[in-house]
Amino acid sequence: MTTTPIEAVDRALAAIARYDRPDLEARLRQARARLADDHVRLLVVGEFKQGKSMLVNGLLGAPVCPVFDDIATSVPTVVRYAEQPTVTLVREEARIEVPVDQLPAYASEAGNPGNRERLDHIEVGIPRPILAEGLELVDTPGVGGLGSAHGAATMSALPSADAVLLVSDASQEYTAPELEFLRNAVSVCPNVACVVTKTDLYPEWRTIAQRNQTHLESVGIKASFFMVSSTLRWHALQTGDQEVNKESGYPPLVTYIRKKVLGEADSLARRSTAHDVHAVIDQITESLRAEQAAQSDPASAAALIDRLTLAEQRAAGLKERSARWQQTLSDGVADLNADVDYDLRDRMREIVREAEEALAAGDPTKIWDQFSKWVQDAAASAVSANSVWATQRARWLARRVAEHFDSEREQMLPSLQTASSDPLRSVREMSLRADEKWGIGGRLLTGLKGGYSGLLMFGLLGTVIGLSLINPISIGAGLLLGGKTIGDERKRIVQRRQNDAKTALRKYIDDVTFHAGKDSRDILRAMQRDLRDHFTTLAEQLKRSLQESIQAAQKSVKASSADRSTRLEELAAELAALEKVRQEVTP
Amino acid sequence: MITDEVRRVLSTAIDAYRDQPRTAHFLRGQLDRLDSPLRVAIAGRVKAGKSTLLNALVGDSLAPTDAGECTRVVTWYKDGPSPRIVMHPLLGDPVSLPVVRRAGALEISLGDAQVDRLVVDWPSQSLRHTTLIDTPGIASLGFENSQRAVRFLTPDDETPTEADAVIYLMKHLHSSDASFLESFRDQGVARAAAINTVAVISRADEIAGGRVDAMISARAIAARYRTEPALHGLCQNVVAVAGLLAHTGRTLTQSEYTFLASLADGPREDLESSLLSADRFASGSEERAALLRRFGVFGIRLSATLIRQGVRSQAALAEELVSRSGLRELQRVLQTQFGERRELLKARSALLALDRVLRTGPGGGGRLAGEVERIFAGTHEFAELRLLSALRSGVVALPRPMALEAERLLGDSGIAPSVRLGLAPDASSGELRQTAFAALRRWQAHAENPMFGRRSADACRVLVRTCEGLLTR
Repeated sequence: MTTTPIEAVDRALAAIARYDRPDLEARLRQARARLADDHVRLLVVGEFKQGKSMLVNGLLGAPVCPVFDDIATSVPTVVRYAEQPTVTLVREEARIEVPVDQLPAYASEAGNPGNRERLDHIEVGIPRPILAEGLELVDTPGVGGLGSAHGAATMSALPSADAVLLVSDASQEYTAPELEFLRNAVSVCPNVACVVTKTDLYPEWRTIAQRNQTHLESVGIKASFFMVSSTLRWHALQTGDQEVNKESGYPPLVTYIRKKVLGEADSLARRSTAHDVHAVIDQITESLRAEQAAQSDPASAAALIDRLTLAEQRAAGLKERSARWQQTLSDGVADLNADVDYDLRDRMREIVREAEEALAAGDPTKIWDQFSKWVQDAAASAVSANSVWATQRARWLARRVAEHFDSEREQMLPSLQTASSDPLRSVREMSLRADEKWGIGGRLLTGLKGGYSGLLMFGLLGTVIGLSLINPISIGAGLLLGGKTIGDERKRIVQRRQNDAKTALRKYIDDVTFHAGKDSRDILRAMQRDLRDHFTTLAEQLKRSLQESIQAAQKSVKASSADRSTRLEELAAELAALEKVRQEVTP
Repeated sequence: MITDEVRRVLSTAIDAYRDQPRTAHFLRGQLDRLDSPLRVAIAGRVKAGKSTLLNALVGDSLAPTDAGECTRVVTWYKDGPSPRIVMHPLLGDPVSLPVVRRAGALEISLGDAQVDRLVVDWPSQSLRHTTLIDTPGIASLGFENSQRAVRFLTPDDETPTEADAVIYLMKHLHSSDASFLESFRDQGVARAAAINTVAVISRADEIAGGRVDAMISARAIAARYRTEPALHGLCQNVVAVAGLLAHTGRTLTQSEYTFLASLADGPREDLESSLLSADRFASGSEERAALLRRFGVFGIRLSATLIRQGVRSQAALAEELVSRSGLRELQRVLQTQFGERRELLKARSALLALDRVLRTGPGGGGRLAGEVERIFAGTHEFAELRLLSALRSGVVALPRPMALEAERLLGDSGIAPSVRLGLAPDASSGELRQTAFAALRRWQAHAENPMFGRRSADACRVLVRTCEGLLTR
């Protein structure tokens, strides 16, 4: 088929324009909007310094992402199609366009160390044929650097990606963290491919690739493998040497992206469009057919109307059945909500438990920097693990709901987009309340207070047996009590700091739980609404088509025979036209 | 002198524990350790190039290297009169293994034995003053291998680690590197660790995709890490080394040189285009493939350039390769950081071990514990080490320029008086006296400064003593 899905929808729209069915038109328009907006997100991930940016540049055939010998990328860079090269900085709500040559100043570790500018991501638009089909390449900062909060962010972006390329260089086989990441990626993303880069530099790359494959097999992950050399690709692009290009290993990767990633997304889009178009046209044809039958044989019209009424009742039955699937859906979502919430709270409790143990060991102000970083990292990774899990469960639930519908066509699921948001962004950083100063002066005063009372106490006792108020015993007692008061005070201060730290910790974890919980509840609620609307509209459209058929049949009984024959001709022509459109759109 | 004192205390302790054979045996081991070479462990993530660097340091292809994960047990390489390999199983007595070398490298087959460690004796000049210890990589897929390394370097059963100093290899600073270095600081060698760890950016030749200027990039990265505050407290220095290049340079053969020279004399374009990738270079020729294994893409590129520039003999090329690989720099750092402090580091390890025994052992430690405490507190060298480590980890805060001078005076970059005073190595004794005197005055003034806290003032007093020591030399 040569028509693109959008063209097919346009044709179908034109064909049904005369039947005055705004509900069906709305459905097609929605399908069209979904198609026009569809991007295929390809996430390029891996540990740092594995050649991710070089890979993106090699795929695009243009030096888009900054490349540097030291750690380079600090902000996720989204590359998509645009007529003119553009660079847009995205920061929470704001979008700022900057000149193209300023990209390195924002995307690289040298220009924007540790993402000081607090950018969400950077969008780059360039005119490249590979992007024209809706591909979106995302270059991520490396995982595992010193500020490893990146890792959690990459994990939470996984469910929104259509495909993931895991990049690791040929210097060594997979390490434990990489394999762990792959395992997670495979569970939430349909297309995961492993790319081994820098094959030009390491003579042993075949052995490494072999070992990597064995590692993957041993944990039961199936993924495509590609061995590439960006240096060779770059050389080939500059000299136009096809031989070198072949050696670089890029062509199979590009084919994979075109055929498998884009192709799969495209065929999915085609399937769902074809489904929409067919459903719409079938409904109209059915009412036309009913009219045709009634017009050609008025005698049987009564029987026909009976049959149609029966069908209408069946459609009403579908609504009734909707009660059952709605039950499953709402029960499922409630269960899921409880489970996800429990999982999140459990993870957080574990963190709090470990953290409190660490706090109990000593003065928290001394370890505060490391401690707060650890807590924040742990919370971030717990939240992302929780959200990945929630997404998996949600998809499973959607399939369960669809099982309530009989025919294959009715079971078609709407695409469930789980928006990737970073719930931790709105969480305030963990901070310890500024401490009261307890310097030498304070210490002296405290000591004096204790010492004074000790001196007075024992001095007065001494006067009873005839010693003076200030005697060696009372001075000794004063010193002892003074020392004890200082010690007590120190203990009290440490204890208060510990309590403060515990409060700060609990507040922070509460905050995280609150935001992350809200986030996951939002996702689930949106999904519930999507599914409910999807299936309800389906049932209503079916019912309305049947009603129209009945009306048409009833009308035909009253019509004259001359009208009847012209109407029959019209009907035949219309049916033929619709059938043509239907033929054109094949899944 | 410090060694003598430690030896005396240890002997007394052995005497005191003579009715507990295990403890006495352990202490006798510590005593022997005082007379044996400094033990330097080479640690790092998997495939960081530990064995390659060890080979480069020894100057021989001793440790087996491979594309896959290779080192699986902790292996000691020490000097000995004749080659010998002894396997120490977890249970049972040590077993001697046959010494087999294939293509230069040792071939050791362990079978299924549960091995605690391997000890390789090898007659070598480079091993005379330091025993090198190769460890399995951290963050390895073989969880057990990685555990072995961590257990060796930071044992949790309350005994100090067996290594006196550590060379930590990393490709780039990874978070697991940092956490490992940190755990190393917290436990084991404890109390002062930044002073016995040197970080190495290994495989430096691969950093810039094997371009000829790769080493320059690598040095710049090393310089950046040196100023990284997170790393400052974790290790003493960061050096970039191309291990493969260094090893090859130290073992370059005449035939390899001849082959390289013939390559360099051929048309330049041919070589350039064949060096585009490793596959292209090695295709179809066993000799070329072997050369590639020894040199890497960067090594061949560099050697060809050097030969073209007029390095025209095997010895000269070997010399150039070694000096460009950064090995010299590493050796110098090891010399100043570990070599010159050898006795002190060993004494410290022994004292820490004794201290543990006294603390955990049953009773009887009173007098000995006091003795150990006295040596720890009373020896100025230990005070210097402690202060140095405290300064680096930021426990003691001094204004930046003062801290830098203090670190230098404490022997951060070498313990020779001229280095400590920041003078040229050939400075006259009069000059030395003058500078030392000026430093003494300065630190005396600092020590009296009422604006400093108690810790800082104590630090200044340690430095005053250091300056006095420099004056009396």
